[in-house]
Amino acid sequence: MSAALETVGLGKRYGSFWALQDCNLEIPAGSVTALVGPNGAGKTTLLHLSVGLSEPSAGSVRVLGANPPEVLPRVGFVAQEHPLYRSFTIAEILRLGRELNPSWDEDAARARIGSLGLPLRKKVGALSGGQRAQVALTLALAKRPELLLLDEPVASLDPLARREFLQSLMEAVAETGMTVLLSSHIVADLERVCDHLVILASGRTQLAGPIEEILATHRLLTGPRSEAADVARVHEVVRQRHTERQTTLLVRANGHVYDSSWELHELDLEEIVLGYLDSGARHAREGVAS
Amino acid sequence: MIWLSWRQQRTETLITAALLAALTALLVPAGVHLASFYDQQGIAHCIGRQTAACNQAIANFGGRAGFVRSLVAGGWLNLAPGLIGVALAAPLVLDLENGTIRLAWTQSVSRNRWLGTKLSVTLVTALAAGAAFSLLFTFYDGPLDRVYGPFDNFGFEGVVPLAYVVFALALTFVVGVLWRRTAPAVIVGFAAYVGARLFVQDWLRQRFAAPLSATWAPHASGPRLDRAWVLAQVPSDKAGHPFTGGAAVLQTCARSFGKGVKGLDPHCLMRHGAGYNHAVWQPASRFWEFQGIETALFGGVALLLLAFASLWLRHRAA
Repeated sequence: MSAALETVGLGKRYGSFWALQDCNLEIPAGSVTALVGPNGAGKTTLLHLSVGLSEPSAGSVRVLGANPPEVLPRVGFVAQEHPLYRSFTIAEILRLGRELNPSWDEDAARARIGSLGLPLRKKVGALSGGQRAQVALTLALAKRPELLLLDEPVASLDPLARREFLQSLMEAVAETGMTVLLSSHIVADLERVCDHLVILASGRTQLAGPIEEILATHRLLTGPRSEAADVARVHEVVRQRHTERQTTLLVRANGHVYDSSWELHELDLEEIVLGYLDSGARHAREGVAS
Repeated sequence: MIWLSWRQQRTETLITAALLAALTALLVPAGVHLASFYDQQGIAHCIGRQTAACNQAIANFGGRAGFVRSLVAGGWLNLAPGLIGVALAAPLVLDLENGTIRLAWTQSVSRNRWLGTKLSVTLVTALAAGAAFSLLFTFYDGPLDRVYGPFDNFGFEGVVPLAYVVFALALTFVVGVLWRRTAPAVIVGFAAYVGARLFVQDWLRQRFAAPLSATWAPHASGPRLDRAWVLAQVPSDKAGHPFTGGAAVLQTCARSFGKGVKGLDPHCLMRHGAGYNHAVWQPASRFWEFQGIETALFGGVALLLLAFASLWLRHRAA
């Protein structure tokens, strides 16, 4: 697979603060990638750099093999909190999309609004959060993008609306085969939707890869503290916790873990993500990440 | 894109139209009334003449005009071009504040085209509103200008109102681009507009060109100042130095002219640095020259501000 989005040493500085630093990423074409990380991790910065809303302070980002501003006609973007003109009716939002996008698919847009049961004359300001998110998604989809970027699309939605939103996103992906990169600080629900994962914390990439592979390689080990160093020689220790009696290690295993003195546990995606965020946060506190 | 720009400023355009409609409702009847009074009294015939009948006619006209002007509340309407400009800049700032700029800038239209179209539509609306404002006042003030000269209504007529509207728009836009909040942008923009207008009106405008001046003796006829912008007209000595003697001199020169009639002795006044008239003024004939200078000033600053704001916006993160 070729990369739909590729960053090399990408960084963005605001004053003396690096919101994103030395970010090297490849989002494979055709993938649905979740970009997870705590608030302030640099997710929005990365997405804004990818659509040309801001310019890099270091490194570069290539989107569909081109520079972000030129590639806009081929990229759909839904910004955080789904900004829409609140005084516009839905019909006017669609007109906006039609007038500003040469590749606009009016029939698809109307069909989507129809299937959501939303009247075209309704004002955007009168819609619920979930409905507004759906209208924003419609606007991005009707552009027929090859790559769709969504910034915290479900953060402000209640669980039901969140599920419906992700469901309709999945239907669109199945229909078009477009690449999707969506950021979220909520890990729940993402596993059903995404096949790739990028963990961003403190402005740096912590982990990136196919979710299946991530699940297969990460293990929680419980065992004697004295042997923790031996594990670290073979496997990558993401996070370690010590008590008097025992040590708990979250490792990214390099092959199988055979040692019988360690008790092995499988982890779900949320636990792995939390492990990375925990360790990222500790590094940041200790000044390692900066 | 043009449609979007119109749609976004629809409310503000309606506010502007409503303001201009209210002014029309106020100024057209008042203007019609003054024009008919002007004709009826034969004022045109009297301009520049000093006959007793003409003086009376002009005095009548002045009385009527003063009454109408008090109803129209003239000076406050200086704020109208500012209000229009500030209102028309608001949608641009709202776009930044609400984050909808991220929607607009991630469609297929380039930032340059978006900015160009948006500014063009806003500026065309602003200029049209300024022109309507100027035409309304030119009609309303027409008879007054013919009698009292055009400088009385300088800020309402000619081309300066167009520059004022664009100036207020540019101020609000710059503050909005830097601050990204609509309420402060509107308040600061409007306050700066009022400040700049007052400064130019009360201090700078009279210095656009060196004023004319004259000194004349008490019973000489002096220059014709009916239609001029008189900056100062004071008692002075023969060389034109303003009288500074104060009350003491007035007391010294007080004379009794027969029974109970008191007055000032002109020869005494002359000895004490008074007794002459001194006037400083800008002639009515400079009206268009001053209009040009002031338009260039406000319009030029406005264009610089707009250029700065556009560059800033183009290279800043959304």
